[in-house]
Amino acid sequence: MISRRNLLGLAGAGLAATAIAGCTGGSTGGAAASSGGGQKGSGTIQWWSNHPGSSKEVEQKIIDAWNAENPNLPVQLVDGGANYEELGQKFNAALAGGDLPDVIVASDVTWFNFALNEATAPLDDLWKEAGVDASSYVDTLREDYAYDGKHYGVPFARSTTLMYWNQDILAKAGLAADKGPQSWAEFAEWAPKLVEANGGKPALMVPDGSNYLDWYFQGMIWTFGGSYSKEWTPNFTDPKSIEAGTFLAEQFKAGHIGIAKDANNTFGIGGSAGLLQSTGSLGGLTKAAQFPFITTYLPGPKPGACTGGAGLAIPNGISDERKLNATKFIDFVTNTKNTITFTQATGYMPVRKDAVDDPEEKAYLEKTPNAMTAIKQLAENTAPQDYARVFIPGGGARIGGGLDKITIGGQDVEQVFEQLQSETATVYKRDIEPLL
Amino acid sequence: MKVIGYLGLALVVAMILVPVYFIVVTSLKTQPDIYSDPLTWIPNPLQPGNYSYVMETVNFGTYLRNSIIITVILTVVQVALGVMSAYAFAFLRFPFRNALFLVVVAALMVPNQITIISNYALVASLGWRNTFVGIIVPLAGVAFGAFLMRNHFLSLPKEIMEAARMDGTSFLRTLWRVVLPMSWPTVVAFTLITLVNEWNQYLWPFLIADTDVVTPLPVGLTRLQQNEGLTNWGPVMAGTVLTTVPILIVYLILQKRMIKGLTAGAVKG
Amino acid sequence: MAAAGAGPLHAEPPRRKRGWNWREIGLAALLLAPNLALLVVFTYRPLVDNIRLSFYNWNISSPRMRFVGLGNYVEWFTSSDSWTIMANTVIFTVAAVAGSMVLGLALALLLDQKLFGRGAVRSLVFAPYVISGAAIGVAFQFVFDPNFGLIQDLLDKVGVTAPNFYQNSGWALFMVTATYIWKNLGYVFVIYLAALQGRRKDLDEASEIDGTSPTRHFFRVVLPQLRPTTFFLSVTVLLSSFQVFDIIQAMTQGGPLGIGTTTIVFQVYQETFVNSRAGYGATVATIMFTIVLVITLIQVRLQDGNDA
Repeated sequence: MISRRNLLGLAGAGLAATAIAGCTGGSTGGAAASSGGGQKGSGTIQWWSNHPGSSKEVEQKIIDAWNAENPNLPVQLVDGGANYEELGQKFNAALAGGDLPDVIVASDVTWFNFALNEATAPLDDLWKEAGVDASSYVDTLREDYAYDGKHYGVPFARSTTLMYWNQDILAKAGLAADKGPQSWAEFAEWAPKLVEANGGKPALMVPDGSNYLDWYFQGMIWTFGGSYSKEWTPNFTDPKSIEAGTFLAEQFKAGHIGIAKDANNTFGIGGSAGLLQSTGSLGGLTKAAQFPFITTYLPGPKPGACTGGAGLAIPNGISDERKLNATKFIDFVTNTKNTITFTQATGYMPVRKDAVDDPEEKAYLEKTPNAMTAIKQLAENTAPQDYARVFIPGGGARIGGGLDKITIGGQDVEQVFEQLQSETATVYKRDIEPLL
Repeated sequence: MKVIGYLGLALVVAMILVPVYFIVVTSLKTQPDIYSDPLTWIPNPLQPGNYSYVMETVNFGTYLRNSIIITVILTVVQVALGVMSAYAFAFLRFPFRNALFLVVVAALMVPNQITIISNYALVASLGWRNTFVGIIVPLAGVAFGAFLMRNHFLSLPKEIMEAARMDGTSFLRTLWRVVLPMSWPTVVAFTLITLVNEWNQYLWPFLIADTDVVTPLPVGLTRLQQNEGLTNWGPVMAGTVLTTVPILIVYLILQKRMIKGLTAGAVKG
Repeated sequence: MAAAGAGPLHAEPPRRKRGWNWREIGLAALLLAPNLALLVVFTYRPLVDNIRLSFYNWNISSPRMRFVGLGNYVEWFTSSDSWTIMANTVIFTVAAVAGSMVLGLALALLLDQKLFGRGAVRSLVFAPYVISGAAIGVAFQFVFDPNFGLIQDLLDKVGVTAPNFYQNSGWALFMVTATYIWKNLGYVFVIYLAALQGRRKDLDEASEIDGTSPTRHFFRVVLPQLRPTTFFLSVTVLLSSFQVFDIIQAMTQGGPLGIGTTTIVFQVYQETFVNSRAGYGATVATIMFTIVLVITLIQVRLQDGNDA
């Protein structure tokens, strides 16, 4: 069947080549094995997606629009798995010896490994060739995919951390019902009141180490002047990082911060006054919560929050022609109109600068101020993630496990952070340094 | 004795039923009702809409058809191969018999996490991606069933097999007339376990299937889960119930065969 | 094929060193070839591949690999995590095998009796075995969750504080094991039930006539007949519990505290597909394969010893 498809593919690629003659560079003709050739396609653009934010319908809607404009170069949406890990698994299998897709969804953690191992293509030249204006992407979101002076991904389903507050409890605690704490010190002052107002339940619920506590804590550690790493140098043992860890451990011990496997639903049933979660939870909580709530920035001083979520990348092993087509398609998926459609359907953040000026989007944001918080925070309170979490293999799970240890495990902060420091350095030396 | 039996029965029912019950009622709950404190035992309000939601959002009929095709073919092939292999190991004399048997059984020790990458490359090079052949063939080898059936064959009364040998009965006739009639309960158990395993295959079909044309239920239904943020578990549980019920029906039918099979065997024996 | 049945058909044919029956060998080859071919191509070829990879440093996304000799093995055997993971695996496996076999046999014996509602209960017992791991992970959250779970609710009523199953390594491992046993009872149950159906009823009747006590009857008459089944189950349940993955993935993702419920096969997955260290993952898999092979060989030896 595949051999038939390959045959069809060659014919299709020929057709496509004539259709967009003039745009193609390099590898006309020549077997797939020839240098710079790469795999020929089947004449359709294969997009492997895990549909972040339950977005299959809206993805298909965008694809339908593309297909109407480009009948010679249709896009096919392929279910790439239930989550980013599964999608990575499927892509890795294809790398090991299958037909490569044209576009994949890559998470904040997976994209770098693909880029570092040359599994995905640098996009800068392709942007130039396809006439894509990369500066129209929101700068911080675009720069999240920069490595060694090149970009390896395009922001797509991008999220950030947010605070959610139960307004009933804020009011009961005698606090203003329209703002969150400005600093973690202020949170510590509020916490006893919030705990008391809610029958002894924690003031703030955060997910545990198996559910990305390492992502949520990242903003907190920054506000203390610490970090997981400075570029490739681990920074866990910096006194300021340890201070942040100690703060987390003490707040947990005092019952101010609660840690749960399912923080969302614990907050949703009134199990805490506040919640530290992703923007991605907004839609679900709006439907599920039986009380009024607000979203706020994470406490400062800025930056107090990090970005996350997924981007789109292009496999390196496909032909130049396919790469170029993929670039154009990605540009289309993330153009102003489509990023608005996509983000309104899912709760992610628009990735183009001019999206917020769009009248339709303006009206939407006015109606849903909770969605506005994330977009505003993006410009004012966020920074790219630390290498130790997103670029070091297994970084997230390692740090998450460490944070579990100092909170629910009650272990010594300094000791745990020292271990994180040395493990991170070891992994860097073993897995990353030889490739740089 | 009977009283203790009934008490034990009640206890077991309670232990097993409660989580099953929660799966079923969750499939009939709205999202706020699923996570309420304290737990609600009865859905309030009743939300049968979760089921129609599943039907509307995913190609349920197509996935069901694919699951049936894959499961039925794999089960037939595996039961046949398992019985054949077991017959050879239990009744025939040939060189390296024990070593070959160990080779078959040791296949149970290889977790699929380590075979997928290598097999994917092979299947892709054969052009079998996104086909039923590509999903079925790599899963068709049977270790569990060969082991189970051989074990059972060895427990059969030796006199009967001896009699069959003396008659010079042919292989097929020995199998059908002598061996299988005394083996139905075990064959049914083998079939049931195989059905369940193949019905629930996830990792391999997920890697090989690209489109709905060959995607089976467990892979198709993962779309109901959220990747980031909040999963609405109502529809997910509805999908689980819909996936589980067909197998339970088959089980109900087959478990009767298990008993009938025994009586038939007893008469023969 | 017609004369194939002429070969010795019982379990332990007289050992004649010479004089193989060629027709018998031919029939055996015919019967075994398809299955062996499938296993060799789709199980053993990847296994050999895997063993070869275990000597390399290979990032799964990379086209290149670097030979490191025994480096990966040295790393595994000197890492403190490995021993925690081994301990988790051993505790989980022993508890899962013992728990599901004892309970499964008890259920099979119980539902072998003529009790009212037997058929329905039989399919109920089998149901968990059919349900997917992901659904089970969610369903058991309603049982174990410290905020809205059933156990918390019940213990609260009698004034006892429930442990936080998700935040203590020991309790988390207990939770995962209990869930696994719950799910796999159906498997043990069905195999034992099938074996009970096939046992010799005349011996039961003899015991009844002799007035043998039920306990004595069970240990002296029923259990010995079930010995091959018990052996079979001890091997297969051990192998499958060694490879448990979906329940851990759905319930704890290997946590808490990093590796609180990480077992060896979960580590294989984690290293290969999450950390992209396919070479190291292959090493862990090879070590795991070796361990289970040795255990199984010991089980076979014990069984042979019993038979002798």
